[in-house]
Amino acid sequence: MRALIAPLVLGCTMLITPLALAESPPEPDTTASEAQEDAAEERATQFVGVRGPEAESIPGGALLLAAYAIVWALLFLFLMRMRGLQRQTAEELERLSAEIRASEGR
Amino acid sequence: MSRTPKSGNSTVWSLLFFATLALFAVTLYAIFVLAPVEQQMGIVQKIFYFHVPSAYAMYLGFGVSAVGSAVYLLKRDPRWDALAVAGAEVGTLFCLIVLLTGPLWARKAWGVWWTWDPRLTTTLLAGMIFAAYLALRSMGDAGEVEKRFAAGLALFGLVDLPLIHYSVQRWRGVHPTVITGKGGGLESEMYWALGLSFIAFTGLAALLIWARASVERQKEESARLRLELMHR
Repeated sequence: MRALIAPLVLGCTMLITPLALAESPPEPDTTASEAQEDAAEERATQFVGVRGPEAESIPGGALLLAAYAIVWALLFLFLMRMRGLQRQTAEELERLSAEIRASEGR
Repeated sequence: MSRTPKSGNSTVWSLLFFATLALFAVTLYAIFVLAPVEQQMGIVQKIFYFHVPSAYAMYLGFGVSAVGSAVYLLKRDPRWDALAVAGAEVGTLFCLIVLLTGPLWARKAWGVWWTWDPRLTTTLLAGMIFAAYLALRSMGDAGEVEKRFAAGLALFGLVDLPLIHYSVQRWRGVHPTVITGKGGGLESEMYWALGLSFIAFTGLAALLIWARASVERQKEESARLRLELMHR
């Protein structure tokens, strides 16, 4: 029996293998192709070069000006805040010292 | 504090102030007149002369904050705590400058405002750590526990500083490395402008830390007087 099964399996394998390895064109799957089309629509499918002088231009001068303005503005705000804090603390110190002097006088 | 050291401090402060002011004037001249426009990036490269020294001033501020915090934890001296607060605030100011001027340069150089480059990310992280420190300290009059916890946070922030510096070398990023060993270097006029800017920013950071620490000490004094008044 075993002698009969072994050639049978071998024969089947030899019969199936060329079919399995054959590069047959896949069946057109409509849902997969639609998904591919959607993905393609979402991203650029073509790059077109700019002709003439109309190239993208990021204004370096404006960026530089903005950067330096940010530096000075932040420094100015910090100094203003510190001045306010210093004035507020000095006033509070003055008030507390006066209160202590008044309580000592009592 | 006696009258003499106070007036001596005031003289030193005034000297440092005018020296820094003069240095900034010279630095601006060196940046915009002496240093040439960079070949590839154009005029936007001149952001570099304020961006890099700001990053250095940020290190200085955060470093002072961490040192002040460490000494405060050891000695419990409020003067060191005042220095730690001043350093954290000034460091955060310069960190903000770095994080705002960097993207303006990056937009032109990289085409994007921001990218999760190791140096950018670790700088943002340091800013967030010290912002948390300042948030903790700004909740009314900080008690002893809050001060100690904030000091711990500043020391944690210190760990991030070498990461910022070496991130470019350790991990492949897109951040330029022109003034490190791997970089192609700068032209001599560019070096001059950058060097002057470094000195000017050191003076500015020192002045700001000094002034802010003085205000913080006044706040401590006012808190002490309030407590004294309550116990009368």
